[in-house]
Amino acid sequence: MNSNVWILTFSDAISIATTLILATLGAILTERSGVINLGVEGILLMGAVTAFLVGDGTHNLWLALFMSVLVGVAMATVHAILTITLRANQIVAGLALVIFGTGLSQYIGKPVEGKSRPVTIEPMHLGKLSDIPVIGPILFGHDIFTYLTWAGALVCSLYLNRTRPGLVLRATGDAPATVDAQGVSVAMIRFVHTILGGALMGLAGGWFMLARGTAWSQAATTNGIGWIALSLVVFAAWRPLRAIAGAVLFGFTLQVPYTLQGQQINILPPEIVQMLPFVATLFVLVALSTPRARKLLGAPKMLGQPFVRDER
Amino acid sequence: MIIGNIRIELEPRLTSPKWLYAAVPAGSLVFAFIVGGVFLALTGHSPISTYSSLISHGYTSSKGITNTLGLATPLICTGLAAAFAFRMNLFNIGEEGQMYLGMIGSAWAGIALAGHLPHVLAVPTVLIVGAAAGALWVLLPAVLRAKLGTSEIVSTLLLNYVALNLVNYFIFGSRGFFRDPTTSFPQGRGVEETARFHSFGTSNTYPTVIIAVLLAVALYWFMKRSNFGYETAVFADSPNTARYAGMNSTRLTLSVLLISGALAGLAGAMYVVGPAGKVDPGLLQIGLGYAGIVVAALARYNFVAVILTAILFAGLRVGGASLQISSNPVPIAIAVVLQGSVLLFALGGEIFRRNRLRIRRVEQASVAL
Repeated sequence: MNSNVWILTFSDAISIATTLILATLGAILTERSGVINLGVEGILLMGAVTAFLVGDGTHNLWLALFMSVLVGVAMATVHAILTITLRANQIVAGLALVIFGTGLSQYIGKPVEGKSRPVTIEPMHLGKLSDIPVIGPILFGHDIFTYLTWAGALVCSLYLNRTRPGLVLRATGDAPATVDAQGVSVAMIRFVHTILGGALMGLAGGWFMLARGTAWSQAATTNGIGWIALSLVVFAAWRPLRAIAGAVLFGFTLQVPYTLQGQQINILPPEIVQMLPFVATLFVLVALSTPRARKLLGAPKMLGQPFVRDER
Repeated sequence: MIIGNIRIELEPRLTSPKWLYAAVPAGSLVFAFIVGGVFLALTGHSPISTYSSLISHGYTSSKGITNTLGLATPLICTGLAAAFAFRMNLFNIGEEGQMYLGMIGSAWAGIALAGHLPHVLAVPTVLIVGAAAGALWVLLPAVLRAKLGTSEIVSTLLLNYVALNLVNYFIFGSRGFFRDPTTSFPQGRGVEETARFHSFGTSNTYPTVIIAVLLAVALYWFMKRSNFGYETAVFADSPNTARYAGMNSTRLTLSVLLISGALAGLAGAMYVVGPAGKVDPGLLQIGLGYAGIVVAALARYNFVAVILTAILFAGLRVGGASLQISSNPVPIAIAVVLQGSVLLFALGGEIFRRNRLRIRRVEQASVAL
């Protein structure tokens, strides 16, 4: 086992983190408005299969990713209509979205099952930066989306904490009645951010397919990453910048099983090692989601609660 | 909302007429078939002939309906598991994993214990051990939820992926206890013959279907009549009221989640005493745990209605499977698309049961609010 392998593992962890950050940012924006969207896994799968099919048909990378975003928007709109307009239970609606997305992605992805990805998001070479030993390949050998995603997290953070609409968004999640009293439409804020969140989740799926996924392999393509992203929201305490650190950490747990397998290190059977990301996520979640920790973390107070003016 | 000179309003109903309870799911089914039809048509399949083939292979032929009842058996159990927990606003979405553990636990009992037991006790023991294994798998999320308030939603779900890898390990990874030692082909070791039910005639329906139906009716009756049922109902409506009335929320939360896990475990056990007879990866392919949540939601968490929705969904699956074998095969995932759509429409339709839609003409456009 040489150091190159670990450099590669760290590099892959940061790369995988891109999907996690995008999906987590989407979930943070959604949840900050007071809506919980459990449908992440379904949206990721639909985003992934859309990118694959559009890429397969047109060989146009940008069109493929754009369509993933649109599909994410469409699915989040369904969630928004159900939970905001029709006041359906947010948990069950999110689950329905997962089941629907899993089924539909498998249905429309059936003809291309097992086919390798049609277009690839290539990593960039950042000249001298990429040639720095150790740090170069770990930090400066990624594709443009990885860097844009980091910038995106920064923008989200500034938006939430330094702008007027960001303040309104945070207020909507914590005290919708107050926002309503200010004459701002709670439903509108929730709609906009649920849909914006869905767009990011769709992009997360599309990027994952074209940058990390080797082939379309049904539900195993994303293999539970959506659920890890949902746990990451708690880990990041609903703060965009912390999502980056958390995503890299979780990306590492996702990557390590493959590294160990590739290196033929059989301390544990591969099936057991595959449990690692989920057990690690569970562990972190347990540590963080005690009521006291939740208060410190700053979960939106009215998360998951529909807002109805007359019932205030 | 005012559009032009028409005012659309939702008016809360004090009581919903009985027929609406059935009309919403029925309407959802129709709309789901329309959505599915659109995707079928877009992918070059005739919706009409696909659906008629699905219905005949899933419900109306004698082979179809017995296959459907066979598949519905474990699905009733996972549906009951979800309904039991969701009724109390405990969102156990780990039925899938709890069911896998039920399969593992019951296979263990069927291999290790059944041989030492009298015939009449073999099957019940296997079923009980399977249920216990399912309950054990939800123990950690249940304790965390009851003691620390950790959200059970993501924790139960994450354990599904752990359970999935555990089953894979037992079948493919290890040469251990659950693996058939007589062949190098990775498959489960068969349980004792006494630990299995025979199916009815040559069908794929097993006597476990009777157990599942009786269980649903018993649960319905128990939750309506017992003190426990009353307490959970109060707790679901208002945790604070329950607390002021001196009910023990920790005990209620724990017991509801554990019973839910046991019911899901029972689904896995029924798969073992019925068609499988071993730890079998076939169960990993059909998503009966996730479908159980849909079944429960569509039944509006009513235990007796779960029987009907489970049969309905099992039929979609069985009929869907038959569509793959044709000159123009339709992927079985269409069944999952239909299931997901039904639930989405049913959720949306709920508002029309709870509220009355009033559409009125307004003579003079007043100030729109």
